[in-house]
Order: sequence, then structure tokens, then C-alpha cells
Amino acid sequence: MSDFVLEGVDISRRYGGFTAIDTVSIALEPGEIRGLIGPNGAGKSTLMDALCGRGGGTTTGTVRCRGQDISTLSERARRKAGVARSFQKTNIFLDLSVREQIGLAGHMAENDNTDEVMEALGLAGFADRRAADISYGDQRRLDLALALVGRPSVLLLDEPAAGLSISESITLAKLLKELAASWKVTVLIVEHDMDVIFSISDRITVLHLGKILADGPGADIRANPEVVRAYLGTSVA
Amino acid sequence: MIQVINGLVYGSFLYLLAVGLVLIFGLRRVTNFAHGSLFMVGAYIAYAVAAYLGFWGGLVISVMVLAALGVLLDRFVFRPLAREDAVVTLLVTFGLLFVLEDAVRTIWGKDYLTVPPPPLLSGVIPMFGSTFPVYRLFVVAVALAVAAGLALWLRYSKVGLYVRAASVDPVTTGMQGVDTDRLSALVVAIGTGLAGLSGTIAGPLLALSPSMGAFIIIDCFVVVVTGGLSSFTGAFVAALLIGQVHNLGIVYVPELASMLPLAIMTLVLLLRPRGLAGAGR
Amino acid sequence: MSALPSTPATARRRVPAIAVVAFIVAVAAGLLVPAVVSSQLALTLMTQAVITAVLATGIGFLMRQCGLTSFGHAAFFGIAAYTVALNGKFGVLPTELAIIAAILLPAALAFVAGLGIVRMPALAFSMLTLAVAQAFYEIMLRWRELANGDDGMAVRLPSQLFGLDIETFQQPGSMFSVCWIVLVVTVAGLWLLSRSRFGLLTVAIRENEERARFIGYETVVPRALVYALSAAVAAVAGVLFVLYNAFVTPGTLYWSLSGEGIVMAVIGGAHAVWGPALGSVIFFLLKDAAGDLTEHWPAIIGATLIVVTVLVPRGISGLIIALFQKLKGGRR
Ligand SMILES: Nc1ncnc2c1ncn2[C@@H]1O[C@H](COP(=O)(O)OP(=O)(O)OP(=O)(O)O)[C@@H](O)[C@H]1O
Ligand SMILES: [Mg+2]
Repeated sequence: MSDFVLEGVDISRRYGGFTAIDTVSIALEPGEIRGLIGPNGAGKSTLMDALCGRGGGTTTGTVRCRGQDISTLSERARRKAGVARSFQKTNIFLDLSVREQIGLAGHMAENDNTDEVMEALGLAGFADRRAADISYGDQRRLDLALALVGRPSVLLLDEPAAGLSISESITLAKLLKELAASWKVTVLIVEHDMDVIFSISDRITVLHLGKILADGPGADIRANPEVVRAYLGTSVA
Repeated sequence: MIQVINGLVYGSFLYLLAVGLVLIFGLRRVTNFAHGSLFMVGAYIAYAVAAYLGFWGGLVISVMVLAALGVLLDRFVFRPLAREDAVVTLLVTFGLLFVLEDAVRTIWGKDYLTVPPPPLLSGVIPMFGSTFPVYRLFVVAVALAVAAGLALWLRYSKVGLYVRAASVDPVTTGMQGVDTDRLSALVVAIGTGLAGLSGTIAGPLLALSPSMGAFIIIDCFVVVVTGGLSSFTGAFVAALLIGQVHNLGIVYVPELASMLPLAIMTLVLLLRPRGLAGAGR
Repeated sequence: MSALPSTPATARRRVPAIAVVAFIVAVAAGLLVPAVVSSQLALTLMTQAVITAVLATGIGFLMRQCGLTSFGHAAFFGIAAYTVALNGKFGVLPTELAIIAAILLPAALAFVAGLGIVRMPALAFSMLTLAVAQAFYEIMLRWRELANGDDGMAVRLPSQLFGLDIETFQQPGSMFSVCWIVLVVTVAGLWLLSRSRFGLLTVAIRENEERARFIGYETVVPRALVYALSAAVAAVAGVLFVLYNAFVTPGTLYWSLSGEGIVMAVIGGAHAVWGPALGSVIFFLLKDAAGDLTEHWPAIIGATLIVVTVLVPRGISGLIIALFQKLKGGRR
């Protein structure tokens, strides 16, 4: 059981009378890259919110990090336990420079890897620019950097490539796979581009209408008729 | 018992003013720091007009002038600043407060002025074994009438529906094709018109002075925060509560009276961090 | 501050030479001015201006780091002044200790209150600080037995303070230098703090409180600390005031004093730590230039506030910084 780096058991989250996710369970093994897919509104972001302790709605279920129950911890305490995340909607500090904010986020690490992360994500060239003054694509990578820096053990990445061009997202995905391997982080990633997600994930979980529809290696998911009907059928023609 | 009614009178003033703040906060998510000064200006206008047209004439003119000022305020302050941070509007209206106070001081001087109540309402009536000025009961009646009128208007008119929707979620309401700008001019005019109304009826009760506005706005802020910023019911309940506490405090513990409304507010906010009505952010 | 381990490398930048030079020049100027300016009246006005500049610096620092506008800093100013005054009346502590208490007490009050109010919407924060300050004002106004209410009270001070003759604090010439040096040291200290990791963190919280939590920071305590610090700075101004005047009135707690501080901070521009102090100087010159118009001083303040807020949102310091950067860019 406690082999899992991050584990959510029977997680539900309700907004008023609406159940956004319903008794969802998910478990990540050390070092794995897990793809999380599903149609718009399936509850992917909501699941990430529940795992990392973002407020809103009423959440039930248990979240464990390496066997430790973190369900009642704040987002801050979960970050300290090793769970970091990035956001679908760019969520950065506009008035700080790139270096300043990555440096702040990197405070968790024993040996600060701010420079390494900036280098890896191609942010080093404008480290002293204000975040408000850099391009959208750079802001996306900055958002990602804020999660990556500080040596977390689990990364929850919510559409890190949202709004990037296809070639940019392919590059980014490759980079992520390399970084995850060399830094030994476990990754849960949401991504709408099927080629990208299938190429980097070790395993895929499919959410549909707030429930898990399927879960398994990429090949099985592609072959699963239910998944094809609910989701893939429409996006991979 | 008489004290309770006096508290009700003060609470009524607070409500008439707080409503204006709540309306504008609901629609634009900003606070008008000069609202108390408009109340003060309303009082002075009524004072000046009453010399020619009597109390009732002063009332009508004051409300109309203040409503017109509200339209201007919306057009030249709230609307151009709508995209800015709310603090910008706060600072600008704070500046306006200085200007209005100075203007009134220049025109009417800084000495206290008094206004007699209209003959119709100037008597006293026996109550609870002693007597009570009719005029004070009139103030309470006006506040209740306004509260009821507003509640009905917000509930049943189309505009009221928009206002309520906007005070829950201004962005979405704006997107749904509601003309926030026109709505806002109307709503601000109502708010400032009410400030004119309460300024006028305050005349015979409180002595007029240029600083009366800054004085009352502070209690209004306490009311609005306690009530939950954008809630009409919250403001109503909070105004009556704070009015009572303020008044009883002055009678029984004059030295510390000013702390009591804050104590009440702290208590409310500890129990319900978003205020009495629990909405607003 | 468990959230702030001693890492930095990235956050700690070297202090530029120009800052060191500016500091030395400023201190020297403070010592020279009384020798050059002979008019006692001018020195008196300048001393008052510098005391208010300290207050404005405190208000501005809170705006800069937390994006919060306090309309109640007069409370900290006045509480500090009354602490020294009442200590003189009741003789509880030696005056030196009372002065330290007069600075720590408002800071402690602000910290505790801050834990509750810094997370409120910015507007509610402004309204509440105003209301609380006004409550203190009314207490001092009504509680006549304590401190003579509206008439104010004379403050009993010892003949020696911190080893200096009390006259040092009461002659405009010497007191100007004292106040000026306190101002320069305060600004320098806050400036260094604003560049530290703690300074960056509070700006980050101001910018995006949620993300600050997600990168692992506690976000209420740092803001309450900034609030406490800015209260302490206001309290320092209050102490200077009471030493200089040896008299306090409830006016030291009145909202218009907070208002003046805000106006100075806005005119000077709180984006720079030194902006509010600069704003006070300009404010002071403006008042001098207004001459006969001072009768309408409130209207001038109000109109200036409106114009600056709308047209020059970053204040004069913002203009200066922009100009400086342009020159630097142009040379390249
Ligand atoms: N704060 C909220 N209040 C009410 N409903 C919400 C809230 N957040 C999300 N929802 C609803 O929950 C459902 C799941 O939303 P979620 O954002 O998790 O979807 P998603 O799978 O991430 O979709 P997308 O691919 O568009 O990002 C949606 O129907 C959404 O409308
Ligand atoms: Mg999503």
C-alpha cells in the first residue's frame, strides 16, 4: 500500500448539489508518469485540486503521500510533504522577476536548484524580467517552473502546454519526461493532445463525468471501446 | 425603552446610508468614501432651501440634487475607474471627501447650524410613561419605508433582479448583456439620493457641521462590513444592531462607547468571517 | 518564520554603490541643514514635515508590500504618543523604556489584529482600520479623567534622555537632525528588508496569495508582520512627535492625520520605499507655496490626491525611476 507516492482513495467533491468527481481512486507508483485524460468538464482539474488541497466545494475521501494521510493538511503543508502543482490557468507572480519567484518557490530544496530549473525550461535568458513583461508561452513555462523547482516528489501538472503550439507542446513533453527521469519525480499530467500524452505516459487514467472510466497502459486505453466512445472517438479521428 | 427608540433612530440613519454603499459595492465592487460627505452636503442643501421653501421643499430639492450628483459621480468617477483596482476609487473618493468638506466649510462656515423640524412633526407624544418627539418616530418610519420599498423593488422589478444578480456576480451579469453602466448610474443616483434624504432628515436631529459626514461614514463602514459588504438584509440587521449598541454605549459607558460597535463587529466576524449575510468578497 | 530558511543566493543581491552614497549624503544633509537654515519657523515646520514623513513611510511600506491601504495609522502614532504621555503622568517606567514600549505596543496590537484583518478584502481592510483608529480617538476625547480629553495634556519628560539633554529633542535645530536621521535610517532599513527574501515573499503574497500557498508558504503571518512593522514605524513618528512637542491631543489619533500620511505616500509613490518620504517633502513645499490658500488646504490635498491617483498612479518616485531607466537605456 504505502509503496505509492501519492494515493487518493474514494475522493468525491461536490459544488452545492453538483458532484464534480465521484468516489475516484488513483494511486501513483514511484517514478511513473501518469496521464489523466477526459472530456472537458470531466473533473480532471477538480481531482488535482482535491489531491493538492485546493479549497472550494466539499471534498470527501483520503489522500496519502507515501503512506502518510495528508487529507486534512493545507496546500502549504502538502507542498512541504512533496506535492507540487502547476495550473491550467496561468498562476504566477506578475510583479516579480522570473528569478525572484522561482527562487522563492525553490526554498524547499536542500540545495537550491533555481538556476538549474531556469536553464532547463529556457527561462534563464530573461531571468531578471518582470513576469508581466514576458510572452504567454514563457509565462506557461514559468508556471511550470514554480512547480518543478524545490525538488518535489510528486508533480501535478494541469495542462502545462495549454495555449502552446503543437511543436512547442511536443518539445515541452519530451523535456518533462527527461526531467522526471533524471530528478526521479512522479508525475500526474493532464493534457488534451492525445499523441503527446500517449507518448510520455507510462499509464493512463480516463475520467468521464466525474468517474473513472478506464485505467491502464496506453495501448489498452486506445483499444478500450468505452473510452473510444466517450472521448477518443471524437478527438482522434 | 426610550433609549431603544433612540438607538433605532440612529440605526435608521446608518441603514439609509449603508444601503447606498451596499448598492454601489454590489455593482462595481468599489466603496465610495465620500458617501458620508454627500450626506453632509444633502443636509446643508436642505438647510439652505428650507429657508425659502420650508422643510419639505428642502427635502425634495436635496434628494434631487444629490441624485444628480450621483449620476455625475458615476459618470466621472466610478465608470472611468471601473477597470482599475478598487483602491483607486477609494482614494479618489477620499480626495473628494476633503474637497466637499472644504467647499461646505467655505460656503456655510464651520459653526454648528440647526434646523427646526417641520411644524407638522414638531410635537411630542406620550410614550412608555414619558414623552417622545414625534420627529424621531418619523425618522424611524422613513427608514422602515425605504427598507421596505427597496426590498420590494429589488425583489420584483427587473432592475432589482439585475442589481441582485450583479451583487452576487458582477462579471457574469455584465457578460449577459446587462448594461452595467446605465444600471450603475441609476443605482448610484438612488444611493446618493438616499444620502440626500437622510442628510435632510438628520438636520433637525443632529447639528450640521462640515465634519458630520466623515463622522458618520465610519459607523457606516462598520455596518457594511458587519453586514457582509454586498448584502441588503445584512446591512439592515447590522445597522439596527450597531445603532442600538452605539446609543446604549453612549448612555451607559460613554468613555468606551466607540469600542462597542467594533466589539460587535469583531464578534460577528469571528463567528461568520464573511459577515452576517455570509456573502461578498 | 519557519518558512524562511537561510538559503538565498538568488534573492540576495548586492547593495548598489549609489544606495550607499545616497545614504551617506542624506545623513550628512540632515546634520548640515540646521547650520544653513537660520529661521526657527522654517526649522519647526521642517521638523514637523519629517515627523509626518516617518508616518507616511510606514503607511507606504504596507501599501508596497501588501497592497493594503491603512486609513488608521494615526492610531499607532497616537497610541505611541499617549503611551509616553501617560507614562509621564503615572510614572510607571523610566522614559527610555516607555519609549521602547510605545513602539512595541502598537506593533503588537497591529500584529494580533493583523492576523485577522490582513486576509480580508482590501476594501474591508481600509474601512476597518479607519473605524478602529477612530474608536481610539473617541476614547481619548471622551475619557477626560485619563488624559484631559479634547484639551490635551502636557507631557512630563526627564531632563536627560538616552544620555542627551532633553533640549536636543525640543529645539527645532537639533530635533530636525534627530528626526531626519531617524527617517533616513528607517527608509534604509525598510529598503533592505524589501529586497530580502521576506520582502520578496510579501510582494509575492500581494501579487498572488493562492500561488504563494501552493509553493509552500504561510501567507497570513508574513502580512501581519509587515502590518506590525509599519505600525512600529508610525509609532516611532508618534514618539518623535511627543518628544518634540511635549504635548498630546486626541488630534494625534484623528483620521485626518492618517489621511495626510496616505496622501503623502500616494503623491510620492509607494512602489519605491523612499517614495512616501519624498512625497512628504513635496507636500511640505506645496503647503508653503499655497501661502494664503492654506485656508483651503483640505481642498488642495483632496484635489492633489485625486489628480495624482488618476494621472500618476506610481507617484513622483515612479516618474523619477522611469526617467532614470530611460537615461540608462539611452546611453547604451
Ligand atoms: N468552483 C466550482 N464551482 C462549481 N462548479 C465547478 C467549480 N469548479 C469546477 N466545477 C465544475 O466541475 C466540473 C469539473 O470541472 P473540471 O475543471 O475539473 O473539469 P476538467 O476535466 O478539468 O475540464 P477541462 O478539460 O475543461 O479543464 C465541471 O462541470 C465544472 O463546471
Ligand atoms: Mg481542467
